Amino acid sequence: MSSVSDDDITRQGAGVTVDFPALGGEIDSELCNTFEESDVMSDSEEGFYYAGYRLDQYALDVADFSSQYGSDYSISYTATNITGKPRKYPEYGDFPETFAMRTYGDWWEKAPSYIPEIQQQNISKIPAKDYIVLCFEEYVIPEEIAVYETFNPGGLIRIWAYTILKTWVCLWEAKKVYAPSPKLVNKARRFSPKLKTLNIPTRTIRLEFNQMGLSYFTEIDAVLLGGRKVNIEGIQGILDCYERQRKCSILRKLQRIHFRPNIKENYHNHLKEFFTNDLNKFVNIVSSNTDLLKNDLSSEKDDKAVGLKDLPFEIMLKIFSYLDLTSLFLVGQVSKYFYDVSTHPLLYSELNLKPYWHLASSELLCTLAKRATILKKLDLSWCGLFNTISPTEFKKFIQQRGDSLICLRLDSCKILNASCIETLGIVCDNLRELSLRNCSTDPPLLNFSCLANLKNLERLDLFQTVIEPELMLTMLENNRKLKHLNLAFCGISVNMDAVAQRIGQYNQGLVTLDMWKSRFLSATGLDALSKCHDLEEVDFGWCLREVSLGDSLKKLLLNCTKLRKLFLATVRGITDHDVENIANLCRNLEQLDLMGVSGISKDRYYDVLVKCRKLQLLDLSFCDNINSEEIAFWARTFQVNIKCSHIPNVPNDMRY
Amino acid sequence: MHSLSWTTRVISRALRSGFSTLLETASNATANANSASKQRPHFVSVVCGFPKDFLTSKYKPGKYGEDSWFKTSTTHADVLGVADGVGGWRNYGIDPGEFSSFLMKTCERLVHCVNFNPQRPVNLLAYSYCELLEQKKPILGSSTACVLVLNRENSTVYTANIGDSGFMVVRKGEIIHKSEEQQHYFNTPFQLSLPPPGHGHNVLSDSPDSADTLSFAVKEGDVILVATDGVFDNVPERLLLDVLKECEGVTDPVKLQMTANSLALMARSLSFDSEFMSPFAINARRNNINATGGKPDDITVVLATVAM
Repeated sequence: MSSVSDDDITRQGAGVTVDFPALGGEIDSELCNTFEESDVMSDSEEGFYYAGYRLDQYALDVADFSSQYGSDYSISYTATNITGKPRKYPEYGDFPETFAMRTYGDWWEKAPSYIPEIQQQNISKIPAKDYIVLCFEEYVIPEEIAVYETFNPGGLIRIWAYTILKTWVCLWEAKKVYAPSPKLVNKARRFSPKLKTLNIPTRTIRLEFNQMGLSYFTEIDAVLLGGRKVNIEGIQGILDCYERQRKCSILRKLQRIHFRPNIKENYHNHLKEFFTNDLNKFVNIVSSNTDLLKNDLSSEKDDKAVGLKDLPFEIMLKIFSYLDLTSLFLVGQVSKYFYDVSTHPLLYSELNLKPYWHLASSELLCTLAKRATILKKLDLSWCGLFNTISPTEFKKFIQQRGDSLICLRLDSCKILNASCIETLGIVCDNLRELSLRNCSTDPPLLNFSCLANLKNLERLDLFQTVIEPELMLTMLENNRKLKHLNLAFCGISVNMDAVAQRIGQYNQGLVTLDMWKSRFLSATGLDALSKCHDLEEVDFGWCLREVSLGDSLKKLLLNCTKLRKLFLATVRGITDHDVENIANLCRNLEQLDLMGVSGISKDRYYDVLVKCRKLQLLDLSFCDNINSEEIAFWARTFQVNIKCSHIPNVPNDMRY
Repeated sequence: MHSLSWTTRVISRALRSGFSTLLETASNATANANSASKQRPHFVSVVCGFPKDFLTSKYKPGKYGEDSWFKTSTTHADVLGVADGVGGWRNYGIDPGEFSSFLMKTCERLVHCVNFNPQRPVNLLAYSYCELLEQKKPILGSSTACVLVLNRENSTVYTANIGDSGFMVVRKGEIIHKSEEQQHYFNTPFQLSLPPPGHGHNVLSDSPDSADTLSFAVKEGDVILVATDGVFDNVPERLLLDVLKECEGVTDPVKLQMTANSLALMARSLSFDSEFMSPFAINARRNNINATGGKPDDITVVLATVAM
């Protein structure tokens, strides 16, 4: 069902243009031809625009990414670390000088805060969970892409190239989710898969990751793009030519689908000949050969055979509802009846364009707006990079279809501007779920104040999105039914103690709370949160930086007996006493993260393993007082997945 | 508790000032494009040093015992830095060298970041200090630090100094600039620190903001010495000047290296001389402590001359 399978390409090769599929990879083969043709042309004029020599370059800049482990202002575990030459390769270990993403394995999908994707049929077999878009300095015809992975290699599943023609082409795709082979364990890897041949220059690469098979965070040191250098000046003319073709001529489009009426000079005679001689023969053959007809949908209706066409509309609708979006658009081109079924609004009540980020455009959004008259859920995550969707079009869409929306996901969405957010706040007042992950920077460039209109939210995800502190407090007060709240990376302007107090006052029904790497949470905040008795998941990683927690953690644990996931990474103030409380009070605990907590004695960890019977994950990386043999023994005895990574004890290298 | 509230305050302040400087650099960059044709100065720099105890300290690049140093350059600036890890943490099972080494390593990485502002070396210290809190592994301890940046566009050196490491600039046989020693009291310098949990109350901790900052123009031939207290506590100023003025205008790194070697060796032999009236001993006497001889310590010498 993936839009990038080989299957897809052949389908498109068969000659499809209208709307959706036309925006996709079909252009590839077509354009390669354009290029090859013009190659000959430029040959005769000014010589090669292939400079001919091979150029290897490391990433210059990060254009976009979905998540990173480090904070924006930091240089540890952040996306920009992927630029430049490898700093650590071939060393293997957990190095802050590399790029790491937020998740690994399936632990986040097992957590109470997990929500499945909408329109599941769109999702490919190996769905991308994270991505990073890298820019390089010079345009090349790509020959090799090497990824330097210095910790838990294997997360990469797809490589895309953004060509000079402003199209995305998939250069490589993993066949299955990576499972680490014992041979590769604890070794850095220079991964350079065999790429599909692409004859169009590119200097922008997108890497997609799926870390489901990995046992811990993957870390990437650098990315190399190697290929033949291209002389850009020579190409400009061809680009302009292409742009003209793409934009206006219908004839050009017709040619592209190989619909080229072959008009010969004496076609009148040919036609006459056919009518007089061959037509009767043809009709006879056709009518006698009923076997052929039975299977042929496009032929005339046969009384004996029952085709898809004869099925009731409702059943057709049901069948079509299993199709992914690309197939739906394709099947609409079979016949008028199929078109009517495939454009039925019921098929478009839930829309997920995240898997089609490379195809999403203003035109597509416009088409969908016509069909999706009863839209309930919309996911436009990852769409709109390099201005493929105009904010105006998005606004129009929301104004038309927004009022019925109950779920809206706009993770890493590059469309949003101030007026988009304003429209959202005004039109989508029925929203129950709003996800705006990674949508703004610190300090906030976008004004989110219109979100204060939303009153029915049950889930609010502001991961890596910075909004004004005042607005945050107002939203918490307005949305009393809030169940899931994600405020990870919330920026330095938001005081988490104030947020926690507001939650304790108005949102006591909260089930999951993520405050990972946010700031200014202290014992006061924990006290306030202990009023939320339904809490099943809390993530306080990197945010409780206060030395002493006092009894606040105990109070929280006493009141929140349903806790299944407790993340306390680098909460340095945790003492033996606190870990003892966890062991005694958290009977339902499934995931516990104590990464970077020091000074806890071994027996306390043991207590946790003994008393928390449901425990599945325990992260003890960078904890002291324990060694890897003991951890391996515990993991076997208690059947718990215990993580324990370290910076390897090798000389720090400072290269001069 | 007190120290923690301080920490968060400092960090947020450092971060906010960081953003404003980001804009500053952007405006600078445009202005600098015009003056690109002018001759631009650079450092010829060398390093030498000794750990206090050869037996216990392992060799690591960028480190001499608990001292650390870095030197690096970009197209806009040359940067030198030294840091001296405070040894008192050894009793808590903390390697004092790790803190200073991390500080210097991070400074070096930050210099190569897009938003590095050559006019605010104090930001380097503040950011590196913030970076400590972003590490999975707790890096604890404390350190003095001195960072010196040559801004090539305007031939000006910008410095930031916390504690008793320091620098000295010599031109035409005279010391024209010199860092001030920052001390709380005798033998207790200002220091950046991150104490282990539970020890926050009685640990001296100074904010990166309290760094002594200085900026001055340099000319071709100027000699710049950046060193830790192992040098300044053992070699009298007079003696330092005599050595440094010899290498004014030297652009041959080999020759410069020889001077650095002899300075480091001088500091080392004086530090083990129990009869010698070292600057440290003189200082001690001023504080009514009867002491003679040098002060055995890690020694780091970073020596640079300005060349066009």
